[in-house]
Amino acid sequence: MSSSPAIRVTGLEKRYGETHALRGLDFEIPSGQLTGFLGPNGAGKTTTFRSVLGLTRPNAGEMEMLGMPVPQRLQEVVKRVGVIVEEPGILKTLSGRVNLVVAADTLGFGHERIDEMLEFVGLAPEAHRKAGDYSKGMRQRLALAAAMLGDPELLILDEPLDGLDPAGQLAFRARLRDLTEQGRTVVVSSHDLADIEALADYVIVIDHGRLVTQGSLESLLGGQRTRVIVSEPQRASDILAAAGQANEIDEDGLLVDSNDGSAIIEILAREGIYPSEVRQARSTLESVFVGITSGGDL
Amino acid sequence: MSLLHAEYLKLSRRKLFPVMLGLLAILMGFVGVLFYVILPALPDSAQAGAAVPQRPDAYIYGAVQVAGQAWWFAVILATTMLGGEVAGTVWATSLTRDSRKILHIAVRFLVFAAASWLAFLLGTAVFAAITFFAADGSGAPAVSEWLGLLWKFAVISAAWTSIGLGAVALTRSIAVAMGIALGLSFVDSIVAPFVDFYEKMSLTAASNGIFGVGGEGPFSNLVPGSGMSTAHSLAIMAGWSLVGLGLTWWGLQRRDA
Repeated sequence: MSSSPAIRVTGLEKRYGETHALRGLDFEIPSGQLTGFLGPNGAGKTTTFRSVLGLTRPNAGEMEMLGMPVPQRLQEVVKRVGVIVEEPGILKTLSGRVNLVVAADTLGFGHERIDEMLEFVGLAPEAHRKAGDYSKGMRQRLALAAAMLGDPELLILDEPLDGLDPAGQLAFRARLRDLTEQGRTVVVSSHDLADIEALADYVIVIDHGRLVTQGSLESLLGGQRTRVIVSEPQRASDILAAAGQANEIDEDGLLVDSNDGSAIIEILAREGIYPSEVRQARSTLESVFVGITSGGDL
Repeated sequence: MSLLHAEYLKLSRRKLFPVMLGLLAILMGFVGVLFYVILPALPDSAQAGAAVPQRPDAYIYGAVQVAGQAWWFAVILATTMLGGEVAGTVWATSLTRDSRKILHIAVRFLVFAAASWLAFLLGTAVFAAITFFAADGSGAPAVSEWLGLLWKFAVISAAWTSIGLGAVALTRSIAVAMGIALGLSFVDSIVAPFVDFYEKMSLTAASNGIFGVGGEGPFSNLVPGSGMSTAHSLAIMAGWSLVGLGLTWWGLQRRDA
């Protein structure tokens, strides 16, 4: 895994007339991880991707992709990047396989990886059907195969799970996990927070064109706390505090600032308190997201 | 070369191209029927001075008909193909694979112009076949005359292809772009005979100039491009081609992909 960020954006601004889509956006996407790029509708996610990829010209700011300034050196770096931006540009009159031939030719690569990629996304049996006859999930998987043809170090996927049925989502998520395990950097924007929570190692949240927060999913969700349900919460709280385990009482019981459930049980058991439930207390990404953004529609 | 192959695949796997070729062949067949069947059947007074073409000149006459009437082929092909891409995300997706916009434009121009050039040759072949069986007279044009059609069709297809590309890049609408090209053709042919200044840059005049249409007849002054040199005609076609390509680049550059 490279230590330098896969994408670095500094002070990115984009205006459409009087509308500010991006207002000095700063973030870094770490290499070798799956990063979830989150924000309410209109937060500027797609505009950010389009700016980095040279599809729109920002009004200000600096961008780097795989260590190279873009758009200045975009042509050098673009062949190391696989992209699905908005609705994938599938040619519906062509078969799935010919779509990949066109993609390989446009990339300037040979056709060696086409069959491998069709297998990877599970479309080999359907490769000779017209892409126009594919389901949306199949078209997304075809777009992923096209994005993977150049064996890219970095994948930028804009809403790849949007509109897929549950089976399609499962299949696509499995492919994304495979790609991350291969050590690639994958950036996914999604409306579905559960998807990002299930997939991402790192999360960037933007709202109104600005960075709200970025960090590992673990740190964002506060995975270091333990929920303890006991019959005498106040007494248990005092016992744990005396043992050096900071905690608080809420309506559901105790929240202890530790992820060592065994130690908590042992401390309480010594004083004759036996919890009915001890579990890791994680926030959901949705609750975190709503808390730190304007709570707009996802 | 691989980009050229990609564009060739995109064009060749669509029904649009063979359907348009079929329409062009039918059109030229109809022109043949008009000249060799309908026109001779009319009384002299109804022929309005139109002469039934005879071999060997009739062969080249067919090529002139193609050049003058089949410009729409290049326009429809260019506007439909590029218009379909920019209306969706195919154009943007292409740029995420190779970000050189000028190269994408150049490759599409070459492929569409070449396809139109082939169509012009097909149209000429259809008319030539009808001429072979139906026209009076004898003989055939010299090989050099046939070969001359190759570059003549090339410059005409290049000009109309670039105009189609420019129109659709500016408007992002296939229908509006076709309307603009149709309007240009109509206005060009109407204005050129009466406005000397415009005749010097007219597509109609240049097309006639390339084929030597007009000549010394009593109404030759009403035929735009009559007596125009080949060099001048080529310069006009090249100029329109450059204007169309320039507009294509500007149209695709000024808005987001």
